[in-house]
Amino acid sequence: MVANPTDIREEGIAVEPGAAPASGAPLRQSNLWRDAWRRYIRNRGAVVAGSIFVLVLLYCLIAPILSPHDPNAVDFAMASQNPTWEHPFGTDKFGRDLFTRTALGGRVSMAIGFGATLAILAIGVVYGAISGFVGGRLDNGLMRFLDALYGLPYLPFAIITLAIIGKTNLWTMMVALSIASWFTAARIVRGQVITLKENDYVRAAKAVGARWYRILGRHLLPNTLGVLIIAIFLELPAVILGEAFLSFIGLGISPPDASWGAMAQEGRTVYRTHPTAIIVPSIAIATLVLCANFVADGLRDALDPRTKES
Amino acid sequence: MALLEVRNLATHFFTREGTVRAVDGVSFALEPGKTLGIVGESGSGKSVTALSIMGLIPKPPAEIVSGDVLFEGRDLTKLSEKQLEDVRGREIAMIFQDPMTSLNPTLTIGTQITETIRRHYDVPKQQARKKAVELLEEVQIPRAADRLDDYPHRFSGGMRQRVMIAIALSCDPKLLIADEPTTALDVTVQAAVLDLLDDLRQAHEMAMILITHDMGVVAESADDIVVMYGGQIVEHASVNDLFDRPEHPYTEALLGALPQIEGEGIRTGRLTAIPGRPPDLKNPPPACRFAPRCPYANANDSCATVIPELREIRKDHWVRTAHPACERAGAREPEKVQA
Repeated sequence: MVANPTDIREEGIAVEPGAAPASGAPLRQSNLWRDAWRRYIRNRGAVVAGSIFVLVLLYCLIAPILSPHDPNAVDFAMASQNPTWEHPFGTDKFGRDLFTRTALGGRVSMAIGFGATLAILAIGVVYGAISGFVGGRLDNGLMRFLDALYGLPYLPFAIITLAIIGKTNLWTMMVALSIASWFTAARIVRGQVITLKENDYVRAAKAVGARWYRILGRHLLPNTLGVLIIAIFLELPAVILGEAFLSFIGLGISPPDASWGAMAQEGRTVYRTHPTAIIVPSIAIATLVLCANFVADGLRDALDPRTKES
Repeated sequence: MALLEVRNLATHFFTREGTVRAVDGVSFALEPGKTLGIVGESGSGKSVTALSIMGLIPKPPAEIVSGDVLFEGRDLTKLSEKQLEDVRGREIAMIFQDPMTSLNPTLTIGTQITETIRRHYDVPKQQARKKAVELLEEVQIPRAADRLDDYPHRFSGGMRQRVMIAIALSCDPKLLIADEPTTALDVTVQAAVLDLLDDLRQAHEMAMILITHDMGVVAESADDIVVMYGGQIVEHASVNDLFDRPEHPYTEALLGALPQIEGEGIRTGRLTAIPGRPPDLKNPPPACRFAPRCPYANANDSCATVIPELREIRKDHWVRTAHPACERAGAREPEKVQA
């Protein structure tokens, strides 16, 4: 017996609206982000790095709340202890619990890291979008100005900025670290906008009367999002390293507040007798930077439509 | 009054290598509800003509150097960008060649249709969505209401072109410009999309400009045909007159290059190709642009020295050549006699 071919076809079409798709041929619910996620979780290195990144983040957020130790309580009787159950990372030369302080320092480092990264992206997106979208002479001018700024060395410029502001806290650190590092982000966005501007769907949108702000906000910027997310994870380690460096040379967060760079600086004075104090914050910095790079790598592969398999 | 009247339009591209005269003195008129086919090979200026009408040519390097585009009596070339934006989509809509890239991949098709509606009409979102569903049904997309929230990549090429048509129709334009609407589509889908376009044109009482390089496409649905070559109109006639009695050697060659599978006086054997290449519009032939490829041009005539005018060789049949078919030595009688 051969089934009537019309019946088969009818069956295929007669899927009730909203009904669960038949198990034989599941409707593949997918969009750009879901596809990207699927590709990302296949990348083992990126998944491990991402998990560690999240764990470090959670540790920094939660550990100071749960810890029984006051991170700033000085107790010379407990100074320079090696790791014990009581103090998993040991104590520093003032007897403060390093497990709690590392988490606290992480908060500061990450706050500065994310804050400065967002500032970098905000400036970069605005500058790059204007330059790429308007084009012509303005674009030329803005880009030549950027070329000139590119000559500025990043860290010395941050140091000078801090010196000019004259105060060191979370906010001034963010300003100092973002002021000389948004150039690359601006270039990325400009390049993207110029490429996307030539897209057929932009022309099609113009052909039905879309105004410039709609084209920019709806058709251009959302399509740069993928690149921006990658940029966040590439910029973040650079900023965290910059913060660590500034704190290490004594220009950053000042005691008793902690940041990873400041803790490494404190640990440096006792590294012969008590290396834990410098090793712990250094490993924390290295872990975060390494993981962010791996995540950026994974995201780049996941968000690139050209690596679309299956 | 004609709905659209293009008068002596010239659009040039000013590039570093020189001026490209992409459109060089094009004139035609289009009555409401009629279809005009513009035919020509790649680089003949058909698309640039369309983009010039819409004011969408890339400036710089392109510039409309002369001519008027009168739409309902208004000269579109004199409008500001802001005024033009209100015309686009609302009065004149356009669909493009490649439906795979003409939809934004990050927005659902529902969003893309409703935004167009709400751009020109002040209606609440729900009403725009209802209208979007109607439009999708009109372009024969099955389960229209369900598909509204799908992203473009879940549609096939033919379906996407239907979505593009729905977007173009969303504000009831009076003129639809279709720039090679079926070129990128599967052969089996082409006919369906063309039929749909023609049905919708009638239902919405629109005029249409159908741009194509395929003579077969315009034969079906156009009322008048303009043949372009090297940025100029070389022949302009009603569809029947053009196919029955082509006058320009180029039009004849185009028709000769068309495969026939039925009809009287069917040709057999190989299709005839047109020798040579299209003219370089930076440095076109001095007089007749088709002269270097023309089988009738010879050393004794004026083809290389005198620019041929577009002349009315008989009623409503315009041609730009020194050698129209009906004036050649031993001019053939109309083909009907033989059959």
